[in-house]
Amino acid sequence: MLAFPKNIDQIKMRNQRIMFWIARGISYSIIAILILILFFILKRGIGVINWEFFSTMPKEGMTKGGILPAIIGTLYLVAGSMIIAFPIGMLSGIYVNEYAREGQVKRFIKLMTNNLAGVPSIVFGLFGMALFVNQLNFGASILAGSLTLALLALPLIIRTTEESLKAVDNTFRHASYALGASKLYTIRKVVVPIAFPNIITGLILGIGRVSGETAPILFTVAAYFLPRLPNSVFDQCMALPYHLYVISTSGTDIETSRPIAYGTAVVLIAIVLFVNLLANFLRNYFSRKVKMK
Amino acid sequence: MSYKIETRNVDLYYGDFHALKNVSMQITPKTVTALIGPSGCGKSTFLRLFNRMNDLIEGVKIKGDILIDNKDIYKIKTTEVDQLRRNTGMVFQKPNPFPKSIFENVAYGLRVNGIHDRKKIEEQVEKSLKQAALWEEVKDKLKKSAFEISGGQQQRLCIARALAVEPEVLLMDEPASALDPISTSKIEELIYELKNNFTILIVTHNMQQASRVSDFTGFFLLGDLVEFDKTKKIFTNPVKQQTENYITGRFG
Ligand SMILES: Nc1ncnc2c1ncn2[C@@H]1O[C@H](COP(=O)(O)OP(=O)(O)O)[C@@H](O)[C@H]1O
Ligand SMILES: [Mg+2]
Repeated sequence: MLAFPKNIDQIKMRNQRIMFWIARGISYSIIAILILILFFILKRGIGVINWEFFSTMPKEGMTKGGILPAIIGTLYLVAGSMIIAFPIGMLSGIYVNEYAREGQVKRFIKLMTNNLAGVPSIVFGLFGMALFVNQLNFGASILAGSLTLALLALPLIIRTTEESLKAVDNTFRHASYALGASKLYTIRKVVVPIAFPNIITGLILGIGRVSGETAPILFTVAAYFLPRLPNSVFDQCMALPYHLYVISTSGTDIETSRPIAYGTAVVLIAIVLFVNLLANFLRNYFSRKVKMK
Repeated sequence: MSYKIETRNVDLYYGDFHALKNVSMQITPKTVTALIGPSGCGKSTFLRLFNRMNDLIEGVKIKGDILIDNKDIYKIKTTEVDQLRRNTGMVFQKPNPFPKSIFENVAYGLRVNGIHDRKKIEEQVEKSLKQAALWEEVKDKLKKSAFEISGGQQQRLCIARALAVEPEVLLMDEPASALDPISTSKIEELIYELKNNFTILIVTHNMQQASRVSDFTGFFLLGDLVEFDKTKKIFTNPVKQQTENYITGRFG
């Protein structure tokens, strides 16, 4: 007869427990770090947050007053870049996954997309300046900034679209073809609707990425100080991350404007969280429509 | 008498892999033909010949003649492929309703093919759901998402979706293998009903199912059609030793 080691089941159980607690400890400490960051920023910045802070222009060399133009600027840039990047990224994702034949060209496109994702954002900034600001003569403007940020977010959106489409079971496509539907009709009516909740994840990641970037907007749109709101896409604008950078490094009086810097960080975080929540809500809405039992 | 479907010396290759070997079969109109055999022997591949679904796979080569109503379906114009696919409904192993309402699932094939008259669509949806023995269960929730009904109901919905475009041939690839016994017997009853109006090919791993629902049975092994005959004959007195081994479960 086979003699199993004594207590083997207890030992297995103990090992399970140890691993479980290590894993749990690590994931909880990640939450703790996030809370710590939020607490740190909130504690220093909450003091300046009031209605005036949201709704007025900076005053006295940005040591007083609100950050309205930076908030508006960031909202414009996020919206502008996503309006450009989301449809284009989605279309290229659809092309790569649904139309491109397996082989060299497809692999090359994928490789390039991955490389593009790895390019440092300051390089995008320089490129955006050379192409959009100078070559195409848009000047430093919301248009040039949005285009530059769109390039930055593009690989993310392409890749998420691709992955989401790949996850759609082939039998859905075949069932549609079997009814005489064309490829285009199948993609529009069956494949993309099933994948859409996941495609929106790309949008969420894109928003998170562009809303916090400073380097790409540095030479393409961001104004150091602009005491009015932009009124066309050819205007410059302020932006939260750049404003934060300016008042904490090169403002007129860095020490006095410290609370405003933290207040700006609070608002930036709040906006990113809010937009993420909104996108999450959208995703849940679409996934309820296509959810499997 | 003429056959509904006929294959003559069909060979199919996936690249270098020889998946169907010199397969010839004749299928009588309005009968059920069961395709049996171990996994990977080419049953699904064979089924996909008849709506040219294999065309979608890169590197597929097909030789031989494949006829439906005495017409070689691989010699038709590209523009006629959609019509061919309309004429041959397909049902898959896993229920795969589209992310739409029950109504829109059945209406899909109609809209795809240019029918937009509301009245006509409603009529056809009702007719198809009745044919698929699902109407009574869903008539009050046609607007509900197709994902809200049970797996067995979803599979009958997929059958209704295929029937809506009024095909003459129905291709079913293990349509009950993902379902519970009760849903399975409902599908089997349904197949029995449907053969009054359709020519049906069904792939199945379930020997009892094959013997219950089909008039003819084809036994495949490694791409060969080993034996094809009346179901009764195959299950009581097969000619080939391999067939007997397989249906009695002595297969190794
Ligand atoms: N798309 C494909 N590319 C290459 N080989 C395939 C493909 N589909 C099926 N095959 C091969 O062809 C053989 C028959 O497959 P299939 O028709 O699916 O068998 P069955 O339905 O009887 O299980 C298997 O060996 C399988 O690996
Ligand atoms: Mg199969």
